[in-house]
Amino acid sequence: MNRLGVGVGWRAEIDLTVEGLAVDFVEVLAENVPTDPLPESLRVLRGRGLPVVAHAVSLSLGGTDPVDPKRVAHLAAVADAVSAPLVSEHVAFTGAGGLDSGHLLPVPRTREALDVLVANVRAVRQDLPAPLALENIAALLDWPDSDLTEGQFLAELVDRTDCDLLIDVANLYANSVNLATDAARFLDEIPLERIAYVHVAGGVHHDGVYHDTHAHAVTPEVLDVLDQLCARVTPPGVLLERDDDYPADTELAGELSAIREIVERHV
Amino acid sequence: MSDLAGRQAALVRALLAGGPVPPGFDPARVHLEAAALHAKRRSVAQHLRPDLTDALGDRFRPLFDEWAGAHPRRSGVSFRADLETFATWLTANGHLRRRRWSRTRLPRN
Repeated sequence: MNRLGVGVGWRAEIDLTVEGLAVDFVEVLAENVPTDPLPESLRVLRGRGLPVVAHAVSLSLGGTDPVDPKRVAHLAAVADAVSAPLVSEHVAFTGAGGLDSGHLLPVPRTREALDVLVANVRAVRQDLPAPLALENIAALLDWPDSDLTEGQFLAELVDRTDCDLLIDVANLYANSVNLATDAARFLDEIPLERIAYVHVAGGVHHDGVYHDTHAHAVTPEVLDVLDQLCARVTPPGVLLERDDDYPADTELAGELSAIREIVERHV
Repeated sequence: MSDLAGRQAALVRALLAGGPVPPGFDPARVHLEAAALHAKRRSVAQHLRPDLTDALGDRFRPLFDEWAGAHPRRSGVSFRADLETFATWLTANGHLRRRRWSRTRLPRN
């Protein structure tokens, strides 16, 4: 697996901040990035040789509707434009029955849902210029009839598709709070050697529920899950996601330092 | 596969269009997720259409909530196109004055 190091999500709102942070790679949200022309900031970062991963949120790989070829084509175009070493998308569906939720929804952890995911992943991957990593999501609700744990489900999915994993430790923490997912068992069940990189993000507790907002500071609990993961394997990359309520540059730098310290503690 | 399609559609109807909570789901969590999806959609609307938030002020939130509850976003309709429908609805229902350009008279021959 290619070493990526410690990175941050590139967003147009904080492009100058990202250019000034000490990071080894960045990730772009493909849906928000035009390719003609590519934002100048991304050309600057590419010019410095920084790897740029292309991340998608809207392919709905877990949906029973056919994946929209225009969305796949745009993701491929972004990946091409930034020479992405890696492309990533979520294990989720975003809509059904003619309606679009605009967000990531969990799929039931059943064989039937696995078959749908495997078929969609195989079809999509043919049109992508880089290896695809699949990400665990944060869910507020769970299906009533799941046969597999989340770890087993992901393990079988990447085994059948030969994809990599993007493990989001904030999503794992969220599910441990909201759905009673056993984070340690999850980490025991997934194939650690398939982890391409890791996501870290902030969130907030509200009325007994953890909301993965990407708009608050990274919590010690999320960093503890990162620590548990790094105790098992050194991930090739760890990326901080911040999508709203952008803090001072020094605060982002501090969160990146904390992440780097945890990764290096276990090397 | 068709069974999963129907079950996904039923869950999405419950989350976006006031449909019944499908059997076996925790109703409280379905309502929580529905509220989260709605809040995200409203946040995107505020981000993409500051002209509407400026024009409506305090009325933006109740009007958006009223419209969005009755008009879930259709697949294949972008957020921008969806919000254009909201703007049209606001005008048609008298919540927003017609835009200046639509009142401009055509030059006479």
